[in-house]
Amino acid sequence: MGKYYQLGKDAWDDALSGLTCDHRVYAPLVHGESQDYELIDKDLVRKIVYNVPKPSTPLKIFLLPVKENVSAGVPKNVPVIILGVPGCDLFALDLLDAFYLDEEYPDLYYAQRRQEFLLIGTDCHFSDAHCHCTSYGLNPYPSKNQDMGVSLINDKVWLSVYTEKGGDLLKKIQDITPLRFFGEDVPAEMEDIRQKVRKEIEANNRRLPNYQETTHVVMNAAYEKWERHVERCVSCGACAAICPTCTCFLLIDRQGFEKIRQLDACQYPGFERVAGGEDPLKKMDKRFRNRYFCKYLYRPEKYEAIACTGCGRCITACIGDINKNELLTELTNDG
Amino acid sequence: MTERANIYAPFRVTLEKVIDESPLIKTFVFVPEKEFRFKTGEFIELTLDGVGEAPFTPSSSPLVTDRFDVTIMKAGYMTEKMHRLKPGVVLGVRGPYGRGYPLDQFIDKEILILSGGCGLAPIRSLLYMLIDMEDQLRKVVLCYGSKTPEDCVYKNLFSELDRLDKFETMRTVDYADTHWGEHVGVATVLLDHVKVDLPNAVAVVCGPPVMMKYGTMKLLEIGFPDHDIYLSMEKNMSCGLGKCGHCMMGRYFVCRDGPVFTYDEIKDQPDIW
Repeated sequence: MGKYYQLGKDAWDDALSGLTCDHRVYAPLVHGESQDYELIDKDLVRKIVYNVPKPSTPLKIFLLPVKENVSAGVPKNVPVIILGVPGCDLFALDLLDAFYLDEEYPDLYYAQRRQEFLLIGTDCHFSDAHCHCTSYGLNPYPSKNQDMGVSLINDKVWLSVYTEKGGDLLKKIQDITPLRFFGEDVPAEMEDIRQKVRKEIEANNRRLPNYQETTHVVMNAAYEKWERHVERCVSCGACAAICPTCTCFLLIDRQGFEKIRQLDACQYPGFERVAGGEDPLKKMDKRFRNRYFCKYLYRPEKYEAIACTGCGRCITACIGDINKNELLTELTNDG
Repeated sequence: MTERANIYAPFRVTLEKVIDESPLIKTFVFVPEKEFRFKTGEFIELTLDGVGEAPFTPSSSPLVTDRFDVTIMKAGYMTEKMHRLKPGVVLGVRGPYGRGYPLDQFIDKEILILSGGCGLAPIRSLLYMLIDMEDQLRKVVLCYGSKTPEDCVYKNLFSELDRLDKFETMRTVDYADTHWGEHVGVATVLLDHVKVDLPNAVAVVCGPPVMMKYGTMKLLEIGFPDHDIYLSMEKNMSCGLGKCGHCMMGRYFVCRDGPVFTYDEIKDQPDIW
């Protein structure tokens, strides 16, 4: 449960401008028809867009850079604030945490960022192309893994606080501008929008199976189905790169026993090839099917976290126009 | 949090000796910078500086902690470079990782081992442990196959084992020469000559994928139950930490859940061989 505060948009912009002096602040700006995180300076504060659905870049890229030297000491970061994170990307942290913060082998680079970065979530006030979070039991508003929340409604900014880290930032904001405390219940106007967007996404995805049904459908689909659907796949790996829960990586060696951790994708040829040449995922249709098995069967079976948040980025990113939701709907209807 | 070790950082080992086992296989003896302990069947990630990193299962006895052996077949880019190494060079090691052989499950059992080619490397380490616990075992039968007599590794190991009361060895080659006095044919043919007390036996298989597949089928035919067949799986274990995904075998990360599995555990996963 959060604590809700309200302030005017101008006062918020001033406060945020102040924060950009000693924090690295990332927030969504509009780029053509989509939005993506940008490093915000004083001049960009007023251009931030609020309550927009998924930025093009998933949150994981802040925590797991595409390419990182994991031999040097863990870098000391300037305090980082990531503002405007949708509920789906915050939910995805459950699986990333299970992988990278696991008790036996924690990744210190991920752990440090996870500990230091301050995450400000946001409600989606409309849905984007292919959004289907509600089909998988999620909502178009954050429910976990955020330090603070921010929403802009009728030119008023609502802030909500969930963690000690979020509370500390709130104090800093209060030092710059006064805030009005509104209690611990979700404000009525905020709740109205939440339900409206929720219904909108549900209506857009009526034919899509839920997570449990998808697991069943994927497990039981005839192999020929995958062979047919893979025809337009070119193994570019965009679906994995853009996925908020895909965790696979490659370790690259450099002189001096240095290791580079680089994000990888099971869609690439040779992903599982061994020295002798054997490769269980040599055929593209096996790689294609593996992605669905991983998302809907292997990961949820092994971890207490789902591996598809329904953000739909993989559909937007696919240069072969493979629509995961149409495929899953078709497999369901065939069954 | 920061006092935890960096999971990607290897420790250093010095190459002490290189032993030619066969034209394609060499054993590398390493001296670690610190005491190195592993359980039989667990594997390490070996780094050749600036070249790459690959998984290998030590072939020496886990009871020795001041040096360890890795037996490597020339099979790809990194192993090709490994074969050119001279003593004195410093390499990196991460691990040990994974789940090795469950020795407690072998107590009071007959152990039938089927191995081929360089697959005898992890098995040699297991054999050293089985020798150490000989009085707790009923019998150990090692069936080993190689392409030619020249390709047969650890040539002294067989005579050493044959001198022990409870150990028995059988060898076969795909292509014999005039001096070869043992079996001829693929490794699985040796299973036709083995007598086992099935209710009190377990089988261990380690070798090339094709041998693993047909060996397992043959063991099932003989009557071994799925849960008594132990397979050491070879996959692309890259990080060793259950994270990078390269060694996924269905629901399992071979590096963390294996590399030793019972057939029962993996038989329903896709593309295991």
